Amino acid sequence: MLASDIERTFDRYRDLLEDLSFPEVRRWKEADPRRKAVGFFPVYAPVEIIHAAGMLPVGLAGAGDRLDIQHADARFGSFICSIIKTTLELGMTGHLEPFEGLLFSSICDSARNLAFVMKRNFPQKYIDFLHLPHNPSSPASVDFLAAEYRRLIGQLERIGGDYSEEKLRAGIALFNRQRELVRELYAIRAAAPHLLRAWECYVAVRVGNVLPVEEHIALLEQVLAAAPRRDAKKRDSLRVVIEGSFCEQPPLEVIRLIEDAGCDIVEDDFTLAQRWFTEDVPAVGDPVHALAEAYVNRSVYSSVRHDFRKPRWLGLAEKIKASQADAVIFLMAKFCEPAYFDYVPFKQQVELMGLPHLALEYEEKLFTFERLRTEVETFVESLVFD
Amino acid sequence: MRIAAGVDVGSTQTKAVLLADNGGRKVLARKLTDTGANVQKAAERAFDLCCEEAGIKTADVGFVVGTGYGRYKISFGNAQMTEISCHARGASFLCPGTRTVIDMGGQDSKAISVGPSGEVLDFVMNDKCAAGTGRFLANAAEVIGIGLDEIGPLALEAKRPVKIATVCTVFVEADILSYLANGKKPADILGGVHLAIAKRTLSLARRVNIEPEITMTGGVARNAGMVHALEEVLGAKMNVTPDAHFMGAVGAALFALEKMDDSFEMGWTKDYASHRGN
Amino acid sequence: MAEKSEYRGNIHQRQKQLMLDWYGKLEQAASGDEPKTCSLMVSGNCVELLEAFGIVPIYPEVNALQLAIRHQSLDPILAAEEMGYAADNCAYVKADIGCLLKGITPTGTRLPEKPTLVLCNFVGCNTYLKWFEHVAKFTGAPLYVIDVPFLRTAEPSKEDVAYVVKQLHELVALLEKLTGRKFDPDRFRHAVACSARSEELWSRIKHLAKVTPSPFDAYFDAITLMGPLYVYRATQEGVDFFTDALAELEAKRSAGEGVYERERFRLVMEGPPPYPYFRTFRDMFAKWQATAVASTYSTVGGLWEFGFRHDPAEPFESVAMHMIAQNVTNRNMLQRYDQMQRYLEEWKADGVIIHFVKSCRLFSAGQGDMRDYFSKQLGVPTLYIESDLEDPRYFAEAQTRTRIDAFFEALEHSKAHPQPRPTVAKGTQLCVLPQA
Repeated sequence: MLASDIERTFDRYRDLLEDLSFPEVRRWKEADPRRKAVGFFPVYAPVEIIHAAGMLPVGLAGAGDRLDIQHADARFGSFICSIIKTTLELGMTGHLEPFEGLLFSSICDSARNLAFVMKRNFPQKYIDFLHLPHNPSSPASVDFLAAEYRRLIGQLERIGGDYSEEKLRAGIALFNRQRELVRELYAIRAAAPHLLRAWECYVAVRVGNVLPVEEHIALLEQVLAAAPRRDAKKRDSLRVVIEGSFCEQPPLEVIRLIEDAGCDIVEDDFTLAQRWFTEDVPAVGDPVHALAEAYVNRSVYSSVRHDFRKPRWLGLAEKIKASQADAVIFLMAKFCEPAYFDYVPFKQQVELMGLPHLALEYEEKLFTFERLRTEVETFVESLVFD
Repeated sequence: MRIAAGVDVGSTQTKAVLLADNGGRKVLARKLTDTGANVQKAAERAFDLCCEEAGIKTADVGFVVGTGYGRYKISFGNAQMTEISCHARGASFLCPGTRTVIDMGGQDSKAISVGPSGEVLDFVMNDKCAAGTGRFLANAAEVIGIGLDEIGPLALEAKRPVKIATVCTVFVEADILSYLANGKKPADILGGVHLAIAKRTLSLARRVNIEPEITMTGGVARNAGMVHALEEVLGAKMNVTPDAHFMGAVGAALFALEKMDDSFEMGWTKDYASHRGN
Repeated sequence: MAEKSEYRGNIHQRQKQLMLDWYGKLEQAASGDEPKTCSLMVSGNCVELLEAFGIVPIYPEVNALQLAIRHQSLDPILAAEEMGYAADNCAYVKADIGCLLKGITPTGTRLPEKPTLVLCNFVGCNTYLKWFEHVAKFTGAPLYVIDVPFLRTAEPSKEDVAYVVKQLHELVALLEKLTGRKFDPDRFRHAVACSARSEELWSRIKHLAKVTPSPFDAYFDAITLMGPLYVYRATQEGVDFFTDALAELEAKRSAGEGVYERERFRLVMEGPPPYPYFRTFRDMFAKWQATAVASTYSTVGGLWEFGFRHDPAEPFESVAMHMIAQNVTNRNMLQRYDQMQRYLEEWKADGVIIHFVKSCRLFSAGQGDMRDYFSKQLGVPTLYIESDLEDPRYFAEAQTRTRIDAFFEALEHSKAHPQPRPTVAKGTQLCVLPQA
């Protein structure tokens, strides 16, 4: 890829992410009528296992501003975040037709209840709920999760999946490669943010939700090769860490306006699925066990993963130090209770470190951004004029 | 001739209706006042004005049913019914084919599934926030700086309605202001606001079974822009009578007539009339 | 006009005394080293294991609801919000943390500032994981999370049970360390056996509501009985209390006494009550002489009316089973629909009241779908109302009253003119629409 082509690539993948008809999923399935796709609700899913069953794992991320909620809010009333409703609305308007299966996991009470509401409303689909362990300090948690993964494998085979251990090992290697490349992308963000804008990095990572992993790897390699050759000027910006957008995603415009206001987003918790493990999942031994062990011991910290061996505010502290951030922006989806809860100890931690911080709230569906723009600009001004 | 009254004390306006039964039932008088701070006074005023218009004494009224939020505050009421039962009954009386009622008032919107004789089969009301209510529209009118009566007609002139994401009264102000700042036409903004409320109301109505005929009731029924937007999202025509705003009071008066029959049998009415006479 | 009916028998006095004794023990713990205490969640609580160590339970939910009933929840909620908690965070948590910060005693008696252990028996409630993490951070008390797999299949798998049993053993080791006492398996078995007896009695009480008129309200009165159920279930005092409670209510049943002089409506209640307006809310139903004959909320601590009992022959396994499968909060939405459907049929109820509380997404997220299922698919009169279990700012009295009155006006009519409701055939999917 030429450095000059890179912009067009980002635009193309942004358009792909905005297309609610999942064209790449349909294209992948058309190649062979036996192919099946399994959608997963954020934040994490064992994509390697879906891949090893010969199916396409697809990360669902709500519907942004492109779908009117007309049926789902009759099922999930007030005080429930948007992504719950848009995901159900996608189903009720036929948009999830390309998926034979839908996976949910234990990230919050609303998402968990959504799994079972979906099950009632779409009895023709395979809909499952994975219980990811909340007590990693117990030696029993790895065995439990391995058993849970084996249950998933059984269910995928039931709907026509063709699983083998060999394929899982290969899948683990592929997704390790994907995560490694994403880590490299973030390394560019931290070292030379002008070479890769935050929204570009975001699109390049998130598009992994809807592309076959092999294609995503190729895309990431191209971006990584082209980025250093870009003709972009360094700018004097505030280095910020974004925290709180791990599930429902902010509109792209919000990411842009934060950067336009004079911030470089050097770290974030957007679409964690593509960067869930801090290091490679071992590709030796029993791969199911390896994947379960990795979840218990090698996961990133997240507001929806519970590990009292190490409080997640210390995870945030490490992230801030490693990325040499000047400030933290808490960017939280409206009604996202895990983000709201973590805000309190996170804020205390950031204050302990003497860093400025700003709390913002968004919904995936926004059409006017003036209020947010004003808040971010004021925050930046207050720091620059300090 | 037996005369009964229905008094509907709403959050913003109080409506009173006199109904006469002389073989057939017909509306004798209807009156509207602002509710204001003194709920009881408002109810009395509306009721007295009704009697004045009909040229009767208040003591000629055999039974009064109160409805609306202030129903328990009406000192001269003989019984209370909720506005949900009353709107269903009133709509079924004035538009006998009614199977679904969409009521948009100042504080609440409701969707009611109605049986053949005007009985409530199922109902839902809006969430606690003011989304989809008259209050929301009044707020929008205020932000744009035009009168409440003007917003409906202006919304009808919208060519490219803007997108309104939020139906929160507070946040929509910010949305409207930024659209104004971006040079959007007030008609297009209002068109967007009306459409957003209509969609929200449709989703509310879907919680009961939407079956024709659909009758719209409540104060917002006077807003032509809202009627148009609702009919568009429903994909169906609605009955909108000139008495839409009085539907709760009409229904209350119908219940009053029935209850008057019951209470004649039980010998209540005489005591009641003498009490009222004081 | 408004009938204020409430059963006030001996059991209410006894219940009060038991709860006072409990608070007395906690007050004692607050000023000394004994007794040892443990904070845990009401839902699927494993009080049997604590009893085996002589540890007194602290239930932050019970503290929070006591505060709300006494109209004192707003101040601590505001204190927590000042600290950064959001308007849309669970108000139980905010009230609890607010009390902690401000040194407010929610029960009117002193509570230990730092429990011996903060035990997060996570049972379907993700909020609890955050809540106890924060409590541990602010008090410095040790934290143990017992991870209970959510019931995502019809029955728990043997791996689910094994996982919880292993954690219970880890918990035993931790409690031995924290209390300096050796685990006594006989004492544990005895506690489990007491629980089994209390549960049998409690279940019989629940089944008394099947008769018309029901001798007690299985929502409002059941809440009164829930305190002893969670605190004393595993003790002889608990067994004695429930023995007397059953006898008293059976006597009422034999005399044909109901909650009201005339029971006009029988209801199934779903969701926690609005504690800040508990009395007002109850009166709204009393006005219509409507009795709750069953409620899901009274099964948060355990679901016993369908036969489950703790088993002294398999004490650890049965505690695990109780935590995984035998309490409403760890069961999935569709299992809750089934539970309510059984109540409607076996307890012969006229309708369902769904009380959405904004604090508790575990209960509330998806209740619109529940409403759709009961009203449209089953044709059951269903009322959906919204408020909160702790935050007084979310109770709109006039709106709530209107909805409840309108529901009963319609129910009165349909009971007087019974006819088949326009329902949709079972299995018909209402919401699958053609692609837009």
